[in-house]
Amino acid sequence: MCDRHDKLRSNNRNLQSIEKQWDRREFFKKTSLGLGAMALGALLQSEKLWSAVGPIADPNTSLNSFAKNKLGLPHHMPKAKRIVYLFQSGGPSQLDLFDYKPKLKDMFGQDLPDSIRAGQRLTGMSADQTAFPIAASTLNFKQYGESRAWVSEAMPYLSEIVDDLCFIKGMHTDAINHDPAITFFQTGSQQPGRPSIGSWISYGLGSDNDNLPTFISLVSKNGSGQPLYSRLWGNGFLPTEHQGVQFRSGKDPVLYLGDPENYDGKDRRQMLDYLKKLNGMAYDAFGDPEINARIAQYEMAYRMQTSVPEVTDTSDEPDYIFEMYGPDSRNPGTYAANCLMARKLLEKDVKFVQLYHQGWDQHGNCPGGVKYQSKNTDQGTAALIKDLKQRGMLEDTLVVWGGEFGRTVYSQGQLTETNYGRDHHPKAFTMFMAGAGVKPGFTYGETDDFSYNIIKDPVHTHDFQATLLHLFGIDHERLTFKHQGRRYRLTDVHGDVVKDILI
Amino acid sequence: MESNIPDFILFLGRFHPLVVHLPIGFLIFAFLLEIYGCWHRNPALTMVIGLALFGGAISALVASVLGYMLSLGGDYEQSMLDMHFWFGIVTTIVTFFAWAIYSGKFNVPKLKGLKFNMASLALVVLLVGVTGHYGGNLTHGSDYLIKYAPFGRTEKVVLPPIVKLEEAVVYDYLVNPILESKCIGCHSSNKKKGGLSFQDSVAFKKGGKNGDAFIAGNAAKSEMIKRVGLDPQHEDHMPPEGKTPLTDGEKLILSFWIDKANADFKVKLADLEIPEEITSIASNMLGFEDDTGISGIPLPKVEAVNVEILRDIEGAGFNIRELIFESGLYEVVLPPGSITSMDRGELEVKLEKLLPLKDNILWLSLKDNKVQDEHLTTIGQFVNLQKLEMGKNPITDVGIAKLTGIQNIAGLNLYQTKITASSFGNFLKMEGLERVYAWGTAITEDEAARFEEKESRPAIIMGM
Repeated sequence: MCDRHDKLRSNNRNLQSIEKQWDRREFFKKTSLGLGAMALGALLQSEKLWSAVGPIADPNTSLNSFAKNKLGLPHHMPKAKRIVYLFQSGGPSQLDLFDYKPKLKDMFGQDLPDSIRAGQRLTGMSADQTAFPIAASTLNFKQYGESRAWVSEAMPYLSEIVDDLCFIKGMHTDAINHDPAITFFQTGSQQPGRPSIGSWISYGLGSDNDNLPTFISLVSKNGSGQPLYSRLWGNGFLPTEHQGVQFRSGKDPVLYLGDPENYDGKDRRQMLDYLKKLNGMAYDAFGDPEINARIAQYEMAYRMQTSVPEVTDTSDEPDYIFEMYGPDSRNPGTYAANCLMARKLLEKDVKFVQLYHQGWDQHGNCPGGVKYQSKNTDQGTAALIKDLKQRGMLEDTLVVWGGEFGRTVYSQGQLTETNYGRDHHPKAFTMFMAGAGVKPGFTYGETDDFSYNIIKDPVHTHDFQATLLHLFGIDHERLTFKHQGRRYRLTDVHGDVVKDILI
Repeated sequence: MESNIPDFILFLGRFHPLVVHLPIGFLIFAFLLEIYGCWHRNPALTMVIGLALFGGAISALVASVLGYMLSLGGDYEQSMLDMHFWFGIVTTIVTFFAWAIYSGKFNVPKLKGLKFNMASLALVVLLVGVTGHYGGNLTHGSDYLIKYAPFGRTEKVVLPPIVKLEEAVVYDYLVNPILESKCIGCHSSNKKKGGLSFQDSVAFKKGGKNGDAFIAGNAAKSEMIKRVGLDPQHEDHMPPEGKTPLTDGEKLILSFWIDKANADFKVKLADLEIPEEITSIASNMLGFEDDTGISGIPLPKVEAVNVEILRDIEGAGFNIRELIFESGLYEVVLPPGSITSMDRGELEVKLEKLLPLKDNILWLSLKDNKVQDEHLTTIGQFVNLQKLEMGKNPITDVGIAKLTGIQNIAGLNLYQTKITASSFGNFLKMEGLERVYAWGTAITEDEAARFEEKESRPAIIMGM
């Protein structure tokens, strides 16, 4: 209908009357009355006022990257430029991986002392147990590196690089079940609806590569367990273009990038320009910022047609890289392959890459389960960190490894010499970070002899989030978004930056 | 956001301070006529007052719209702006009501003893006053009005300039400025909240209603230190909610003064043993160079950059990001693969565009862009660089020699370049250099290990 016309004109009579209205609107816009009406429109449209994204600018002429933005970011000198968050979903057992508790061996089968549990709430899965028999890890631990960090036999590859890692052994969280706990870690609230960390960072700092999304999530296909929902990488109340884009775990990470049959794609640019015009008119008429988000997404999808096949193509990776990541890395969609993909995305300056690996929920058969999970993830994790380091990218890339909570010292279900289960434990667990601005070869925090309570330097989920933002040059108390009448932030009204783990 | 607002809106907005005086005039005029009318009744007056009110209402509406446009440009303190905004809207609405009441369009049931005309006019004038006051504060700052008032003025003591940190009198140069910026608003001789005043040393020593503000030599037991260290939600936390809290550095200075300087008002830093942390904070407060290294590499002070220059650089294909808001310090990235030919000129032209920014660039990445030794002559002039990424480029030891003038550089990325162990000497010349990434170069694991054994820095990071 609108081929090579500057003005949009249809041959449909009904539409023509609407087009006339638009012409009148154009006229009013250029008069002071129209301007007054526009200002009033903006006044009633307060959501727009608080969002950082204005009308979508042409990326080629966009000055967003250095122009003053009203958010005033970064607040201080950043250390991190990008992040890869390796989320180990399910709650990895700190007792069988990093938090070595030798004294438990002598207490095998004894009941967990009440003074340790101190009335702590348990999940419905083990609360009715008549006894809480202590289960020492059956896995062997050794100290590694110059930092003498303890790592169990389940993680042989990671144990080689402990001098690059910063272990936080005093992590604790508020939630005791999977979904609220993951949601809490990713969005700062146990209830769904808030923006994910990646969305906050995208909103606050924008993109370093206009051709790829700022926030990409990857879920590995060789882990299964508690479900993950796309809202975990959702934008919540932030403008929609800040939501995480999930790459599928398979051969085609993004579907329908190629042209359909019998279409050569030559006039797609022209089609998108007209569509943009139409959407622009809809924005003028309704002022809904989501229309701008939609325009931005169309443009992003267009650029992704060329940028995604380029970045997901691993054919030019040498064999020794595949060997480093392990045999799984040749099988697209596995954790190891996703680690390799993450490195490639980070190399392209994608700011936030979020990996998820499910299956760390060892209620039963804990030793076997932990070994199985580690086998699928250990080599990939270690290879990613090494690979980033040798390319000099660990200098400004933050690596985070961790789950949503830890696991109990007592056995859920029957305890035998060789087998036990562990229930959810939010009061103490281990995470580690590496790279940009974090002390390498360092262990922070300590738990008691039961890995049940933290006895030194606790780090709450909100503290972790505050520290993460701090590394990006963001004061977590000052990155806010007004929604439903109040200003929200990732850490809500909590959180202290853990300065002791920073360089 | 700023780019979001059409210039024309901002242009109109600037008329707000001009137009806003119309309703002020109209409405005060109407009020004066009403008072006059109390003594000299005249039917013509009623008409004039009605007209003045109508003029006031319309001009208030216009002023409000213009004011809103002006506020879109940003630049104003949010909480004060909110007050002005809402008072402005309320004033406009009440003025319309006053006019409606006056012209009989809006009947208010008569209440005994209350004259609605007079009451509504008085309310309007009161609102105009409050709104105007907030507006004035926004424009001129909140201390503008009474700065030269004959009452409550404090003589500003000018401190003699010092050339060395040690010369600073702890109280005058470090403690008092903190009190002046964060405390004296409520604890001065004019406004003695809790009976406490920090006006001078005499008042300070006297303490407040709850006893002494400090106990010399015991910061932990001192009331003021206890109060600033409380949980911010705590009722007794100082400064109270809504006021800017003390920074950690400021709290340390106060504690240091009470503990180590024994709360003496005369003692100088030179007379005391100064922990590194305090040296660092004090240096930053007084504008001396902080050489403790605690707060990281000191950031260079640079001039702001002309937007045209930035635009030009972006036009050449660079990505630019300001590292700290309004610091004028930048990260510059030339996306990998932007340069594909070995023709030196192509990159040289681009690099020359960066020269006006040579002091402002802290992080520079030219990874995989056919950078050659000749180009490093230009890059060697970027003396404030802290991080330089040169990986995957055909540069050799000859080029590295040109970078030795960059003293603050901490991380130098040279992976998959053609450098050899002969560059080690040049690495040592760069005093700040901590890490060199040398995977995939001619440097062998052995050479790197031997170098690291001999030298404390930089670490030579190889492949895995």
